[in-house]
Amino acid sequence: MDATLPRQTRLRALRTDYFSTRLDTLVTLGFGLLAAWVLWSLFDWGVLHAVWSAENREACGHGAEGACWAVIDARWRLILFGLYPFEEQWRSALACAVIVLTGGASCAPWFWTARRLAALWVAGFVTFYVLMRGGVFGLTEVSEQNWGGLSLTIFIFASVTLLGMPLAIVFALLRRSQLPWIARTMGVIIDAIRSLPLLSIMFTFAIVLPFVLPGWMIGDKLHRVIAGYALFFACYQAEIIRGGIQSLPGGQEEAAQALGLGYWHRIGHIILPQAFRNALPATINQLVITFKETSLVVIIGFFEILASGNAAYGNSEWNFAHVEVYAFVGLIYFVFVFALSRYGAYLERRMAVAER
Amino acid sequence: MPISQTAVRISQMDKYYGTFHALKGINLEVAKGEKIVVCGPSGSGKSTLIRCINRLEEHQSGTITVLGTELDDNLDNIDEIRRETGMVFQHFNLFPHMTILENCILAPKLVRKQSRAEAEEVAMEYLTRVKIPEQADKYPGQLSGGQQQRVAIARALCMKPEIMLFDEPTSALDPEMISEVLDVMVGLAQDGMTMICVTHEMGFARQVADRVIFMADGEIVEEAAPETFFTTPKHERTQAFLGQILGH
Repeated sequence: MDATLPRQTRLRALRTDYFSTRLDTLVTLGFGLLAAWVLWSLFDWGVLHAVWSAENREACGHGAEGACWAVIDARWRLILFGLYPFEEQWRSALACAVIVLTGGASCAPWFWTARRLAALWVAGFVTFYVLMRGGVFGLTEVSEQNWGGLSLTIFIFASVTLLGMPLAIVFALLRRSQLPWIARTMGVIIDAIRSLPLLSIMFTFAIVLPFVLPGWMIGDKLHRVIAGYALFFACYQAEIIRGGIQSLPGGQEEAAQALGLGYWHRIGHIILPQAFRNALPATINQLVITFKETSLVVIIGFFEILASGNAAYGNSEWNFAHVEVYAFVGLIYFVFVFALSRYGAYLERRMAVAER
Repeated sequence: MPISQTAVRISQMDKYYGTFHALKGINLEVAKGEKIVVCGPSGSGKSTLIRCINRLEEHQSGTITVLGTELDDNLDNIDEIRRETGMVFQHFNLFPHMTILENCILAPKLVRKQSRAEAEEVAMEYLTRVKIPEQADKYPGQLSGGQQQRVAIARALCMKPEIMLFDEPTSALDPEMISEVLDVMVGLAQDGMTMICVTHEMGFARQVADRVIFMADGEIVEEAAPETFFTTPKHERTQAFLGQILGH
């Protein structure tokens, strides 16, 4: 084959796609220039004229032409670790790494049995909690009240998902119960919780619940908020799972029944594995939302990563540098959420093999 | 006839969907090793009848006794009957998220508590018998309809059932694939399996059936050995039906 052919074709494709009429040319040039200007301005601000080191802080401030990354250099530990004791912050960093590694390991197909996945996450989560909380193995105890920053965000997200997902499965199955009064009661509960704003649920669990619960049930404020959030998550996720179950052809359940499989075997081996496949895009969507909405815990006085960011520029020394701090926090959110969506896309591609 | 020789005994069985009377006073007795073909026009209740035998449908009155166990509200009885009764569906209903081999070993492992190795050995034996051992590691979606239906038969056989129920096993197949499935069914019949088949394959009925049952409007209209059934049908609805399906 002629080696120059593809290049010519590409050139022609470029011409037909972007320059085929006078209007196309105009639009292409106009938006091209706009994009170039935006990118250049960002580059100029963020890199060329930026101040990188906290020692050159004087160069920042009003009238400075570039970004003041010095604020990150000076305050990154506050942003990442919040109020966690300074000399113990390596634990918080290690704990985050453990959860990230656990998440990475769950991508490996070897872990894709219910038992292995559960064991992996319980191990990862317990390690995280021991590292953060301390009080054993010679680690100083750090109560939840002093947790903050990225590790708090991850802790809330991971616990909400780990508690909420099994709860969601139970809700979805109850919602599909053959006994109408169970199915209907569950439906009403789900609808009721879904119609409340997350903020009010968190507030109720954090502030109101201690007045009505017996003393031994009250527990830590953070744990109560997580319980409330998990309940909220479970109601949404239950409907997602139910949708996945309903999209299965009825013959699947009948075939399993005809083979003599009992209810739990049918659910565990036939129904749920397929339902989760069908519900995967919606589930990833729900996880992304859940990760970002962890920032709402600030209203009951916890400094997750966004609130820690606010605190990082919230003094007279750095109060001009909010854009830089938000850009940094935004980047961290982006890394996690983008990784989640890529993971979802990877799962979809892999499972497509089993479809048709 | 002693109990041990009877595979299925249905007496005065009625089935309703809401107010619709789907099966009316059905009486049927199937001996072990007997091959029954059930035919009839669409909506005559033939699928419903065999789906009652393993309780995919619930009957409202009368009794169904399968291998000496009566089908009632006792879930243990239902499970026991389902373990001993294999079923093949019109639309195959293979589990699409599992390979062919996994489809075949799932129930023996979970229900019969066989070890993986044991179940795989049995599965490969039956897959060889339906002539597709080389497809064991593929997914159902990668197979043709005829191949999928043969897997479905193998999957049911892996449970070593006493009775096999076939619910229009060739109706969803392209014409050129029908014979490969029928061949497997004929082989099974020759091995002495008790079979109850809802099918319109009259060639198959002639070849293997001990009795042909004709249903219409939820009732058993006529019941006869195939040679009698095809040559001298008594009831006029049977004659009309046979005229339609054999006429062209």
